[in-house]
Amino acid sequence: MGYFGKVLSGFGSLLTGMRITFSQFAKTFFGRKNVTLQYPKEQPKLAPAFRSAIKLIRFEETGTHDCVACKACERICPSYCIKLSGGKVEGIKKKRVAEFEMDFSLCSLCGLCIDACPTDTLEYSKVYEEAGYNRDWRVDLVAEFREYEAEFVEKQRVIEEKAATAKKAKAEAAKKAKEAKKAKEAEKAKEAEAEAADTAEKPDTAEKPPALEAKPAKADAPAKAEVPTAEVPTAEAPKS
Amino acid sequence: MPETLSQLLDDSVLAMPIAAGLIMGALTINVLMLVWAERKVSAWIQRRMGPTEVGPFGLLQTLADMLKLISKQLITPSNVDKPLFHLAPLLAFAPVIAAVALMPFSKSLILVQNDFGLLFVFAFGGIAVIAIFMAGWGSNNKYALLGAIRSVAQSISYEIPLILSALSVVLVVNAMGFTLASGGSIVVANGLDLSHIVMAQDQHGLWFVLVQPIAAIIYFISALAETNRAPFDIPEAESELVAGFHTEYSGMRFSMFFFAEYTNMLIVSMLAVVLFFGGWDGPVLPGPLWFFLKSYMVIFVMMWVRWTFPRLRFDQLMTFCWKVMIPLSILNLLATAFVVAVL
Ligand code: SF4
Ligand code: SF4
Repeated sequence: MGYFGKVLSGFGSLLTGMRITFSQFAKTFFGRKNVTLQYPKEQPKLAPAFRSAIKLIRFEETGTHDCVACKACERICPSYCIKLSGGKVEGIKKKRVAEFEMDFSLCSLCGLCIDACPTDTLEYSKVYEEAGYNRDWRVDLVAEFREYEAEFVEKQRVIEEKAATAKKAKAEAAKKAKEAKKAKEAEKAKEAEAEAADTAEKPDTAEKPPALEAKPAKADAPAKAEVPTAEVPTAEAPKS
Repeated sequence: MPETLSQLLDDSVLAMPIAAGLIMGALTINVLMLVWAERKVSAWIQRRMGPTEVGPFGLLQTLADMLKLISKQLITPSNVDKPLFHLAPLLAFAPVIAAVALMPFSKSLILVQNDFGLLFVFAFGGIAVIAIFMAGWGSNNKYALLGAIRSVAQSISYEIPLILSALSVVLVVNAMGFTLASGGSIVVANGLDLSHIVMAQDQHGLWFVLVQPIAAIIYFISALAETNRAPFDIPEAESELVAGFHTEYSGMRFSMFFFAEYTNMLIVSMLAVVLFFGGWDGPVLPGPLWFFLKSYMVIFVMMWVRWTFPRLRFDQLMTFCWKVMIPLSILNLLATAFVVAVL
């Protein structure tokens, strides 16, 4: 390529560059398509699997979280960013978390706490606008649940009470059912006996002697039945 | 309007300040709009939005920037050469106003009629180089000095093809006689008179970009270099020299350089329109409007170029000038001279 050829090809490549930038210009200017997101005015579309800082789930059935302050998350967190406390709450059996302090500036979003949680009450949130203004910036994750807590405890207490009474009733019912069953069985046995006696003493049939004989049998049956019925509730108790 | 204006300018003692004020006001608005346009064009080329917040479409953004610059403290570093340091921004600022005054906006709207307008415009461009060197030298700062040295070397080199390409147009104009609209007599055209250049194109219905395409391209490229615009912006190369010759300037002094730079863009574009694109020549719309429309189209191309090409290295810049631009423009001039002599 001679001198003029070089100049011409160089000029051609310049024109190519200008064509490319003009096509971009035209796309923005005439096509009104730009890549800018006017952030505070527009919100970004988050990917479905977007993972941001962890949060407690609010379950629909209970209306609140289900953290039992087991500290499994605190122990497994590789960044030591969870600090929680909690324990027994007056009136209910369940333990509840009292304070769930999160240091988002340390969290590596690894998700181990989510996997470790036995009650599955942790998940990734979709907040992306969090900002801390000092070094010890902590967020209390249960803070937003505080107003529901009393309600939940009250409900839970009622539920537990109901459950307890139901359990008692059930146990009693079971006991009764067992007794009834035993009684029935005993009656059946007695009837069978009576029938056997009937058939045996058919020739000189007398109404009285079998009745008299049945009496001790009837008194015997409950005494026999008592042993298994006493065992039944203790065996059933852990199940219910 | 032109009549009353020229009467006012002829008769009144106030002529000077009024003219200066008019030009200043127009140029200030021009610079504000150009900076806005530059930001918008760059944004659109990069698929962004550009300024949108201040005023409709962000139009007032540069006004806000200007106010900020005005309110800034004027810092004079302790070891500068004070007279040079203070004089440089003014010296960069004044010639651009003078150059704009020479432009023929239409047949009647010429603020200063001069037989050698073209020469004067180039001469005023030369003063700007001195101003830049004063600023760089006076700042007593290595980056400023390096920027100034680069600028001077670049401007001096690129002035040669710039003037050579303009000269080939002058030859063409000189070869053409044309009838003056009012007198109806054949007049010998004076190729150095800016309005004569336009009239020659007007009369023959032929823009010189078609007669002298190579000169037009060479002129445009040299003009980019003259105005220190990318890809020839090595005098202020931010990534290498902080800000080049105006590193030490702040506030209004800085904005004077800025003003001069953007007005220089306007001047070289206006000159391009006069030399190659038929000046005020155009259908329907009034002359001055055509003139400005064309000028801003040229400026748009300058911006487009700026946001397309990367900055040249200094040796590439010099090689390009001395090995490509100057030989080509000399060849072009010789060819033109030959054709003109033969015809
Ligand atoms: S996501 Fe990982 S780092 Fe963050 S709190 Fe959970 S365990 Fe800790
Ligand atoms: S692992 Fe789950 S239930 Fe246990 S303390 Fe953490 S959040 Fe609460």
